[in-house]
Amino acid sequence: MSDARTLVTGDGRTHIPSTLMRESLQDRKVLSKTDSEKDLQIFPDVSMVSIGGQSIFDRGKDAILPLVDEIVQIKRDAAASGAHAKMVIGVGGGTRVRHTISIAVDLGLPVGGMAQLVGAMEELNAILLNTLLAPHGSMPMQRDHFWDLPLYFAEGITPIAISVPPYHFWEPPPDEGHLPMHGSDFGLFQMAEVLGMKQVIFVKDEDGLYDKDPKKHADAKRIPKITLAELLAKMPAENILDAELFRAWEHAKNLKRIVIVNGLERGQLTRALRGEDVGTVITKEAA
Amino acid sequence: MTTERRTLTAAVGNDYRPTAVMPDVKVVKIGGQSILDRGRTALFPILDEIVEARKLGIQVVLLAGGGTRARHIYSIASELEVPTGVVATLGKYIPMQNARMLQMLLAKHGGIYILPDDFEKLPLYMQMGCIPIMSGMPPFGYWEKREEGSRIPPHRTDAGVFLSAEFLGSRRAIFIKDEDGLYTDDPKKNPSATHIPRITAKELVDRNLVDIVVERMVIEYLPRAQWCKELQIVNGLKPGAVLAALKGEDVGSIITA
Repeated sequence: MSDARTLVTGDGRTHIPSTLMRESLQDRKVLSKTDSEKDLQIFPDVSMVSIGGQSIFDRGKDAILPLVDEIVQIKRDAAASGAHAKMVIGVGGGTRVRHTISIAVDLGLPVGGMAQLVGAMEELNAILLNTLLAPHGSMPMQRDHFWDLPLYFAEGITPIAISVPPYHFWEPPPDEGHLPMHGSDFGLFQMAEVLGMKQVIFVKDEDGLYDKDPKKHADAKRIPKITLAELLAKMPAENILDAELFRAWEHAKNLKRIVIVNGLERGQLTRALRGEDVGTVITKEAA
Repeated sequence: MTTERRTLTAAVGNDYRPTAVMPDVKVVKIGGQSILDRGRTALFPILDEIVEARKLGIQVVLLAGGGTRARHIYSIASELEVPTGVVATLGKYIPMQNARMLQMLLAKHGGIYILPDDFEKLPLYMQMGCIPIMSGMPPFGYWEKREEGSRIPPHRTDAGVFLSAEFLGSRRAIFIKDEDGLYTDDPKKNPSATHIPRITAKELVDRNLVDIVVERMVIEYLPRAQWCKELQIVNGLKPGAVLAALKGEDVGSIITA
């Protein structure tokens, strides 16, 4: 083999020797050479906590303050035990996102334009949360400043992440309808996935996932534990998470566990962070 | 956003009347491996034709591809088994370098380097007669999803060109490569391969080729697009082809929605 550091010429182009030199990156056989069974896991002991916009923040003080109090207690307990809580918090946007989208659709804005607009509404909840948590150690994290995370955790600072993914003007045309597919649920899932985190905990206003909408059906049954494959086979009509999240999770290699808990019930988030089965636990593989 | 989206879809129904943002802009990709890695012999005549088109009043936004340096870092990153989102982030840097090279060459003709979020300033640049130049890589970075059977980001610079054209409301995205477009087989390997002037995305998918001329994601998105209904692949090594394409002529191969 020629020296891998010598440039290759002779066909009118200048190449760098590599396994992909001169190859088409559309060729499935070439692409398969880049794949393997696993992905590097960068932060395997960190939990991502997503706090619902509509389900928590839009309820105002009565829902927000007890949850903030629980988070402060989680931080105190962890610090008392000698290790700071390793969690990243993200927030949803709720009703203001719905309103933005409804106006944008009426105006005929392109899907990329809608995607560019909605992030600002989520950010408002992130600022509010940080205002409440800052005295106990929290900081807004810049878009992809993941490499600061070890520093945050060493100092007991809880980072508050930007939840809407940066698809912005480049949001792809949706497979149905005309609304962006990549919302905050997907954004926080993907951040946990790419960083190889331990789990994602979605804090909502229900005790987890039900076979039908518990707000409308009194006989709705909670699903305590389910695999992704089982869930995809019988997806409830009114799911409380982004469909795109599940689609992406199917092809993902890292994330093993998503938990949905009730943020209106004190203690559920604490237990989920400890790794206990609470609310609904969705696993990538059968346990 | 799911529950929110569902109730919203019900609320707004199908009365969506999309608005084209800047429909007259031609979104043009300059290939990395096919053009930029060839250096000045390939690139300078193409830039001359783009400048000529701009002088005719044709509005052009240039997006740069990656090429061999992207392949090199993708290859090393794959050996290290880093997640696709990290590979996509690494993949942003090379098209950015290429865009900056193009800007230095076109500066005297109004070439201006722009970031993905600078679309909002395009009206000014266009009125000033500028040629905005940017990286073709979409800004997804760490948020790029994994595709089955590959670690390479599925949205690369072709996807960025298509999605830019779609956002701007441009009907046709133009890809400058080193071939006349689509062939029945790889013309570099099979001399009896014949040229395909026009084909639909569906016909292209039905052929189930191992290799295709543009990124698969673009072919998947094309039929669902609101605005960008055509991809034109034009041979930048053929004198006059780029100018003809910028004037709206059907040269090269055209893939339709």
